[in-house]
Amino acid sequence: MQASRARLFKEYKEVQREKVADPDIQLACDDTNIFKWTALIKGPSETPYEGGVFQLAFAVPEQYPLQPPQVRFLTKIFHPNVHFKTGEICLDILKNAWSPAWTLQSVCRAIIALMAHPEPDSPLNCDSGNLLRSGDIRGFHSMARMYTRLAAMPKKG
Amino acid sequence: MDSEDEFDMHDANGDDDDDNDDDFYSGGDDDAAAAMDSDEADVADYEFIDNDSDDSDDIASHRYQQNYTVLTEADIHQRQEEDIMRISTVLSISEVAASVLLRHYNWSVSKVHDEWFADEEKVRKVVGLLEKPAFASPNVRELICGICFEAYPLDRMYTAACGHPFCSTCWTGYISTAINDGPGCLMLRCPDPSCTAAVGQDMISRLASAEDKQKYSRYFIRSYVEDNRKTKWCPAPGCEYAVDFIVGSGSYDVTCRCSYSFCWNCTEEAHRPVDCGTVAKWILKNSAESENMNWILANSKPCPKCKRPIEKNQGCMHITCTPPCKFEFCWLCLGAWSDHGERTGGFYACNRYETAKQEGVYDEAEKRREMAKNSLERYTHYYERWATNQSSRQKALADLQQMQTVALEKLSDIQCQPESQLKFITEAWLQIVECRRVLKWTYAYGYYLPEHEQAKRVFFEYLQGEAESGLERLHQCAEKELQVYLNAEGPSKDFNEFRTKLAGLTSVTRNYFENLVRALENGLSDVDSHGATCSRAASSKSLGGTSSKGRGGRGKATTSRSSSSSRNIDDSGHWSCEHCTFANVKTATVCQMCHQRR
Repeated sequence: MQASRARLFKEYKEVQREKVADPDIQLACDDTNIFKWTALIKGPSETPYEGGVFQLAFAVPEQYPLQPPQVRFLTKIFHPNVHFKTGEICLDILKNAWSPAWTLQSVCRAIIALMAHPEPDSPLNCDSGNLLRSGDIRGFHSMARMYTRLAAMPKKG
Repeated sequence: MDSEDEFDMHDANGDDDDDNDDDFYSGGDDDAAAAMDSDEADVADYEFIDNDSDDSDDIASHRYQQNYTVLTEADIHQRQEEDIMRISTVLSISEVAASVLLRHYNWSVSKVHDEWFADEEKVRKVVGLLEKPAFASPNVRELICGICFEAYPLDRMYTAACGHPFCSTCWTGYISTAINDGPGCLMLRCPDPSCTAAVGQDMISRLASAEDKQKYSRYFIRSYVEDNRKTKWCPAPGCEYAVDFIVGSGSYDVTCRCSYSFCWNCTEEAHRPVDCGTVAKWILKNSAESENMNWILANSKPCPKCKRPIEKNQGCMHITCTPPCKFEFCWLCLGAWSDHGERTGGFYACNRYETAKQEGVYDEAEKRREMAKNSLERYTHYYERWATNQSSRQKALADLQQMQTVALEKLSDIQCQPESQLKFITEAWLQIVECRRVLKWTYAYGYYLPEHEQAKRVFFEYLQGEAESGLERLHQCAEKELQVYLNAEGPSKDFNEFRTKLAGLTSVTRNYFENLVRALENGLSDVDSHGATCSRAASSKSLGGTSSKGRGGRGKATTSRSSSSSRNIDDSGHWSCEHCTFANVKTATVCQMCHQRR
């Protein structure tokens, strides 16, 4: 408990210091609970998520960093490896390939990479996975783009 | 006939006479005669069994040439150490590195050699054995731990071969998490996500807690057995021995030092003469139909005469109802025991499904047989006999236990015989247990024996019937006749005669069953499926002789496979896949639907 708190506090200070270093990621710690974090990540360019801002929720376990944090999308997103209803993410480093040397910041970076390079062969969102697997890139793009517009972009006018 | 060869296979003692192999039956009788001739022969006969070990539990395993070794935990540990030492010496690497390598290549010394000398650099990369650190520590007094991000003096930092520094607390937590996640901890890598350096046993012993270290070495030793292709744990509950098997050396049946016999290949209980595939099918069938069987086979049967329910609580099939009825009958067919004599064409003739049916009008019997062909009734017939022999075996095991712990001592006192002279009783019981097991599996064998191979069926049922009656004779003698001597007031005059009789029966039965097993494993190959019935005596003679040909697991597997597939061909020439039931054209050898081989 003490170790995870100390480590999270280090990360917190690092985030404060490096706020401008990575303009695509804005990590913020819950005011009252250091084990709850949120992040805003920018959709990577040249993807259907470009221009969108996606919110992530982190639930950090007491065994952190020996155990990985639980992360899910709060913003609706159409992506083969993200559950369409719950926002759960299927990413190896959040499961068995976790390393205690990862940080919340690097997890965000990994999720951005996942957005740019979906893994349609282990889908949580089958509709999305099937579009990619059947080679319907255009269909996938237009669906993902539509949900990005609907959910991840500030409403115009 | 290659009698030398055959001899080696089935009988490790070389001091018997060669006539054994010539005749399916007389081999046993010779043995018995020898045993009856003099006590010396008797003693010699038992000596070979004991010459490797004093432990009587080992008897069954010494009867065949040993192609396996039972390993204790100490043995496993020693072998593991030896392998590690060998790799360490030959490759000039540390023992820790050697064990990481061996673990990665499933403890195959030759595989490690091959891979290493083919491309050392590649192996090092894959396994995570770095030659020089990937990360050079800057020349400073303090370093930042990569996990907790605290700064520590150098002496509190630890690194694997790669040089990535982490503090001891974080290492301990990292290692502990991995160990508690399971045997994957044996392949532990540096916590740095981009680094593949292996974390070996040296780091574990330096940084893990005592409890975790213990778990780790448990996984380490388990891995040597479980990941090794030559060894398996004995599947008996609570048994801690492993069995090292020489793959490709014939029969898979092994007997652990805990006295449990199992098939090394499929780890089901020992099932010679039936092959693993048939056993798997049979077990599946039993579980699928067990719901039905539960009520069909209640634990009791009504006495055929007085109709009182009877629970079978002794091993043999000869049941005597309690007074006043006292009706003696056969448990299997519920017919009068007095009918089970020479008159019925065999001492014990109720193993034959057809004849088990009540005698009636020819048409009716024929009709019933037709109906039974694919019905539950046929299965029930075999299952019932399979299950009865199973429980008979359990009972015999319990009796053997009881014999060894209580009865032998008592008998020794009453008959004034040293217990060492009473070994023949234990052996008789061990033989009964073994025979019940074989007999049990012959019913699975019979169930899968193709209907249309009439000659084989007839011969098989004849052999099985003989086996059954022989075993009943032995069981009866060891169970009931022994009681007389157990209940006697003092030494019985004819105790030595009893000894000779029981020892003789044991050895006759043993020979008969060994021959039976080999004959069935050969798929009764010398029965010409169309050449109908040659005289029984003649075919049984040739059976004993030719059985040395295609023995072992392969031969029998082919037989049963061909038989099952031929059954699956329907009239239109299609065959239905055993796995997915897809109807394939006759010419296909691989299922077009699920791609399983036919």
